[in-house]
Amino acid sequence: MSTAISAMRHVRGFDPTKPFGLGMVILLMLPLVLLPLASIFIFGTSSGLRSFWAALTAPDAVFALKLSVVTSFYATLFNVLFGLLAAYVLSRYTFFGRTAIIVTISLPTAIPTAVAGFALLLLWGKYGMIGRFISEDHQLMFTPYAIILANIFVTFPLAFGVLMSVFETMDKSLEEASATIGATRWQTFWHVTLPSLRGAIVTGALLTFARAIGEFGSTILVSGNLAGSTQTAPLYIFAKFNEGQVEAANAVAIILALFSFAIFSILFFARDWIEGK
Amino acid sequence: MLAERLEDEPDTARDAPAPAASVRSLSKSFKGVRVLEDVSFDVAEGEALVLLGASGSGKTTILRVIAGLERPDTGNVVLHGRDVTELPARERGVGVIFQSYALFPRMTVEQNVGYGLRIRGRKRRERREKVESLLELVHLLDQRKKLPSQLSGGQQQRVAIARTLAYEPQMLLFDEPFGALDAQIRVRLRREIRALLRDINVPALFITHDQEEALELGDRIAVLHQGHLEQIGTPQEVYNRPETEYVATFLGAANLLLGVVARDNRVELGTVAVEAGAEAARFHVGQPVKLVFRPEDVRVSRPGGELPADCNPLANGVVEEKHFVGAYERLNIRLDLVARAPRPGEPPLYEISETPERRLGVPVIITRTKSEASAKPLRVGERVTLCLTTFRVLPNFPLASERGGRVLDTQK
Ligand SMILES: Nc1ncnc2c1ncn2[C@@H]1O[C@H](COP(=O)(O)OP(=O)(O)OP(=O)(O)O)[C@@H](O)[C@H]1O
Ligand SMILES: [Mg+2]
Repeated sequence: MSTAISAMRHVRGFDPTKPFGLGMVILLMLPLVLLPLASIFIFGTSSGLRSFWAALTAPDAVFALKLSVVTSFYATLFNVLFGLLAAYVLSRYTFFGRTAIIVTISLPTAIPTAVAGFALLLLWGKYGMIGRFISEDHQLMFTPYAIILANIFVTFPLAFGVLMSVFETMDKSLEEASATIGATRWQTFWHVTLPSLRGAIVTGALLTFARAIGEFGSTILVSGNLAGSTQTAPLYIFAKFNEGQVEAANAVAIILALFSFAIFSILFFARDWIEGK
Repeated sequence: MLAERLEDEPDTARDAPAPAASVRSLSKSFKGVRVLEDVSFDVAEGEALVLLGASGSGKTTILRVIAGLERPDTGNVVLHGRDVTELPARERGVGVIFQSYALFPRMTVEQNVGYGLRIRGRKRRERREKVESLLELVHLLDQRKKLPSQLSGGQQQRVAIARTLAYEPQMLLFDEPFGALDAQIRVRLRREIRALLRDINVPALFITHDQEEALELGDRIAVLHQGHLEQIGTPQEVYNRPETEYVATFLGAANLLLGVVARDNRVELGTVAVEAGAEAARFHVGQPVKLVFRPEDVRVSRPGGELPADCNPLANGVVEEKHFVGAYERLNIRLDLVARAPRPGEPPLYEISETPERRLGVPVIITRTKSEASAKPLRVGERVTLCLTTFRVLPNFPLASERGGRVLDTQK
C-alpha cells in the first residue's frame, strides 16, 4: 500500500482519485450516518428546549433511562470480572475442550439478539426448561434481572474477546519473571498481569456498556416491556413511537445517542491513555 | 566401628566444596521431540558457567528447568545441596535475567528493583535502603524514577540484574544477556557484568551462542549440541583441547585433516606422516582420525627456511590466497597431501578436490600476526613448508554422542 502511495506521488498533473473518492465517501456517509443522527437533534430541539426537557423528565422516560444504565452497569461488571476469569483460565492453562469452550463463549456474537431473547425465555420462562421448577414469586423473566441476563448473554463475547486477545499476546516472560522473583500467582496477577490489562478492561467495559444500553432485540422478549417497571430506554423509544409520541421518543433517543458518542470518543481519542502510553 | 565410619563420612563430604548448583541427567521432550538428553553439570560457588550452543540446542530449556519454569522429564536440579526439582519457580530463589529483560513496564526503575522485597512484605524503609544501594551498585541511581521504556537497552539490563539481586538469589541465570545490544556495548557490558559478579560472588549461568562472549565471560564453558553436552571445561581447555570435532569447529576456526593412526604414534595423512606423540597414543593403529589444528597454531617458512624447534612438521604447500584482515594476515595454503589409495577396509582418505585446473592437495587456512607477516613476507604462488605448534587428534566422528556404541574407543 505504501508503495502505491509513494508511486502516486510521482505522477504529475491532476489526480482525480482524491477529490472524487473523498466526495463519494462523504456522499454515502451523509444519508447513511450523518443525516439520521443530525435529524434526531434537529427534531428534538425543533419545538424548543422546554418541551424537550419536559419529554425527558417524564417519569417513565427517566425510569427507562435509569433502568438501562443500571442493568447495563451490572452486565458490564459481570462481563469484566468473569471475562477476566475466563480469559485468564483459557489463556494460561491448556486442557481438553479448551477450544470448544472458547467457541461456545464467543457464539452469542453470531446469534440474532431476538433469538437470544427467545432462547432465554424458553429456558427461564414460567413454562421453560428450568423456569417451571422455580416458584411463582421467584420467576426471573419479565423482571430487571432478565434484562441483565439478556445483556450478559449478548455482550459477554465482546468483553471476553477483548480481554482474551490481550491475554494471549501478553509477554509471558513478565509473569515468569514475577514468579522467579518469588511472587505467588495472585501477587503476579495483581501486580503484573492486571496493570497490563488496564486498557483491555476499560475497552471491554465500554464496549459492553455501549452495546448493552442500546440492546433491543433480546430485551423486548425477556423484559415484559412494562412502562415504569421493566421498560428500558430503547423499548421506551419504540413504545412511544408506536403511540405516536414522537417527541417523547426523540428526547430519550438523544440521550442514548449522546451516551454512544461519549463512549466512542473515549475509545477513539483516549486510546493512548487506555493503553497506558 | 560402624559408628566411627558414619561419623567420618560427613567430614570428608565437608572437605570437598559442594557445588552451588548441579544439574543431574536432565532430559526433556516437547511433543515427542527430544530437546535435552542426559545433561549433567555443576556450577561451583562463585563460578560463572557459560552454556554455549547453536540456536535450538536447548540452552534456554536448561535455564528454564533450573529456574523452575519448565519441568524436566527426568533428572534433578540441586541448588546448594537441596533438591529443588519439585519446587515451583517462586520458591527456588533463583534470579533470571530474561533475554527481553522482562521489566515491569508500568513500574519505575525503583519499583522494579524493589518488587522482590515488596512481595516479601519488607518494611518501606528497608526496601528504600536496599533499592538505593543496588541502584548505586549498577550506577542507575539517577534513573530511579524513570519507566523501563525510557531507558537504553544496557540500562534496562542493569535494572533487571538489580531486580534479581534485591532478594539475594542463590544463583543468577542469564539468557543471552547481550543478544539485544549492539556489538560495541556488548563488549563493555560483559566486562561490567563480569566485574560485578566477582564483587557479589554469586554463581552464574550464562547462555550464549557467541563463542567470543563465551570465552570472555566464562570460568568454564559447556558446549551444547542438540541437547547433548559435548564438552565442559575452562575456556583454555575447550578452545585448545577440544574433545570433539563439533567443539573444535564451533569455538573458533579449525582445520581438519582426515588421517589414519600409524605405528610409532604417527598420524598418516595421505602421503605424509605427522609425529603425534601422546595425541596419537590414545588411538589404535589403523583407526581413522582427524588431525585438528587452529589457523594460528601453524608456522610457515620458505622451504629450507628455519622453523621453531618445538614445532611439528606437517607438509609443504603453495600459498593460494592472501588476505589482510586487520589484526592479522590470513593465508590459504594448499598442502601437497596426495591421497593414497585406501587399504582394504579403510575409509577413503581424502576428498581430492580436482578443480578444473586439476589442482591436487588439501586446502588449509592459517593466520599470522602482523609482525610475523612483515618479518617473513610471502607472495601468492610461493612454496612454503608448514609446522604445527599445537594440534589435536580426534576420532573421526564429529559428536561426542556418536562415540557411544562404536567399537573404536579413544581410550585404548
Ligand atoms: N514450549 C515449547 N514447546 C515446544 N517446543 C519447544 C518449546 N520450547 C522449546 N522448544 C524446542 O526445543 C528446542 C530447544 O529450544 P531452546 O529454546 O532451549 O533453544 P536455545 O538453545 O535456547 O535456542 P536459541 O539460541 O535460539 O534461543 C527447539 O527446537 C525448540 O523449538
Ligand atoms: Mg534461547
